[in-house]
Amino acid sequence: MAASYWDSTQKKFWTFTKPQLQLVRQKLEESDRNIVSLYPLPDRRYLSIYFYHQLSKMARPLGIRQQALATAQVYVRRFYTRVEIRRTNPALLLATALYVACKMEECPQHIRMILGEARHCWADTSFTDVTIIGECEFTLISELDSQLIVHHPYRSLTELQNQFQLTQEENSLAWSIINDHYLTDLPLLHAPHVIAITAMFLAVVLKPTQGGMQGSAAGLTAAMQTLGNARNATGGAHIRVQKLVDWLAESQVDIEAVVECTQELISLYEVWESYSDKACKDQIAKFVKARGMDTRRE
Amino acid sequence: MFTGYQHKKRVHERYKIIGFISSGTYGRVYKAEGKNGRVGEFAIKKFKPDKEGEVQYTGISQSGIREMALCTELSHPHVVHTVEIILEDKSIFIVFEYAEHDLLQIIHHHNSNQRGAIPARTVKSIMHQLLQGLVYLHKSWVLHRDLKPANIMVTSAGKVKIGDLGLARLFYKPLHSLFTGDKVVVTIWYRAPELLLGSRHYTPAIDLWSVGCIFAELLQLRPIFKGEELKADPKSKAVPFQRNQMQKIVEIMGMPIKDRWPLLTSMPEYGHLSSLAAGNPRMRAPQSLEHWYETCLRNNHWPKASSPDSPGPEGLSLLQQLLEYDPQKRITAEKALLHPYFSIHGKPLESCFEESKIKYPVRTVSQDNEIRSSSLPGTKRSGIDDHSMGRPVKRLKQDG
Ligand SMILES: Nc1ncnc2c1ncn2[C@@H]1O[C@H](COP(=O)(O)OP(=O)(O)OP(=O)(O)O)[C@@H](O)[C@H]1O
Repeated sequence: MAASYWDSTQKKFWTFTKPQLQLVRQKLEESDRNIVSLYPLPDRRYLSIYFYHQLSKMARPLGIRQQALATAQVYVRRFYTRVEIRRTNPALLLATALYVACKMEECPQHIRMILGEARHCWADTSFTDVTIIGECEFTLISELDSQLIVHHPYRSLTELQNQFQLTQEENSLAWSIINDHYLTDLPLLHAPHVIAITAMFLAVVLKPTQGGMQGSAAGLTAAMQTLGNARNATGGAHIRVQKLVDWLAESQVDIEAVVECTQELISLYEVWESYSDKACKDQIAKFVKARGMDTRRE
Repeated sequence: MFTGYQHKKRVHERYKIIGFISSGTYGRVYKAEGKNGRVGEFAIKKFKPDKEGEVQYTGISQSGIREMALCTELSHPHVVHTVEIILEDKSIFIVFEYAEHDLLQIIHHHNSNQRGAIPARTVKSIMHQLLQGLVYLHKSWVLHRDLKPANIMVTSAGKVKIGDLGLARLFYKPLHSLFTGDKVVVTIWYRAPELLLGSRHYTPAIDLWSVGCIFAELLQLRPIFKGEELKADPKSKAVPFQRNQMQKIVEIMGMPIKDRWPLLTSMPEYGHLSSLAAGNPRMRAPQSLEHWYETCLRNNHWPKASSPDSPGPEGLSLLQQLLEYDPQKRITAEKALLHPYFSIHGKPLESCFEESKIKYPVRTVSQDNEIRSSSLPGTKRSGIDDHSMGRPVKRLKQDG
């Protein structure tokens, strides 16, 4: 892990304990109790899946890299710890987060291209011209206190991959587990190397299956047991897995944190099965429309 | 936010603008004093808008975003401290701690009125502090890419601080080369030979070459390799081979050779190198860095032998390792700090002005104390300035 993560703004200002994060969000909702009760929203993970789909839709025609998408997802998650979602137009925030993330991740896109894709993907009449993204960029950066550098687990995974000689399949499974963790609160809760270790561990224990991770909650539960063994440093597993477990037990890595990440991912894969794109879309549309009407009445 | 951007803080509520300092490539810099309980002096940099008098939100340039992000992230005694960033009235203001001097100004001062050399102990202290800042940047995966005397600040207390992160970038992103169409704006006199020869990879070694050039300039009070820049063809935007700059380097350092720099022959512009030598006698009989250094010591009346009052033989040795052709052999910032030059006569001074009687003039501040919203014509920092957008569309791929 690069020395820089330890004194990063990510570690200092954007990593929370679970109770801290809950408190932050609770305060936010309390200050806007009215609109919060008027417009109920789906589970945060469903919203995250929906946001990810929308971001990918904008990104694909422009050939935007996965890491920029990941950065955009982190910006959105951080932003919504500061601003109540129902006060915003998520479509605009997503487009803007993607625009800024592309610049930070060294794959810049012209603001006009982002506007075009946003318009296309949301069929939203509020995307009139580039200045609305330009203005939202100020809001986003200001709420994030200009702290735009995001440390991702991908880099740690690359190091681990060499160290543990992961197979191609294991590596790409670990990679997609990292992609999935952006749908949860994990980026606000744990250091990137903890996420990378979790992803690698799960990939090795589970063995890549065609269907990817969705629906393999049972396998994950088995993985938890193996992790339990790491805590007690007793063996019994497959040699390769055993090697990993031994390494985990000896390393400075916080096994409790790895367990927590695993649980978070398990429950993501569980809820994913009943995800509905339409439910998210409709519920977001409700408050966006209502707010639009409010403005017109003023 | 859909009622528009609402600033959280205002420049004028927090700072009193005293005057205008300078207009750089990317912004206008003002001197300010704290207000409402905020004490001290500050330098406030206002980013230039895209077009003169621009009053619209058109998107912040990529280099602007980088500078804001890096300024917020970095914090070290030898890097100019960023106090805060204010977004107000469609403009971006970065508030820095104020530095009374910079190396360019200090060099100028010694150049004028035959004042003579910068004291050897001052030079050593400056180099020591500069390298500490650079070790920090490189450990944080940041390449500065534009180190030059004007960007090295010195406070009135003699603390040296690396400034202007406008061109800096993170280098751990291993994906595509850091070159990707970056407009090369780095001042040519401090540009590393591998860049002149068309290398597509920026590595920390390019900053160390610049440090070598700065070291030489502190000793001699003149840029060591003062080449003439060839402008890029405005139509094709192709970066030309900087023949004259390369020539200046070879005149002192001699031709780079494959024996010492194994990858030399695979440099994209290697072909140009041999044509340099043709018909130029000075190329074939280079001065050599030793000779340059000896002359410099003699002109400055510095003893040749090792002494606290001379950069001495250790100074030459460090300079040679900084101005090493092969970027892979060039000394790193970390190793440079361990060089005997910094230890042979005890620890370098903590303040570069300690034990010096010289009083440097304060920064000139002109009485233009309105923060103007329009920029001067000329260079601009557009939304997409340093990457060409005409790149082929790549598929969304997994990379990190
Ligand atoms: N912290 C500071 N304290 C005092 N003066 C400063 C400070 N930072 C910058 N300046 C002054 O402002 C000038 C321009 O600043 P800076 O180099 O950051 O801007 P720039 O637009 O990026 O310029 P450049 O064209 O050199 O890249 C500096 O050369 C220096 O004279």
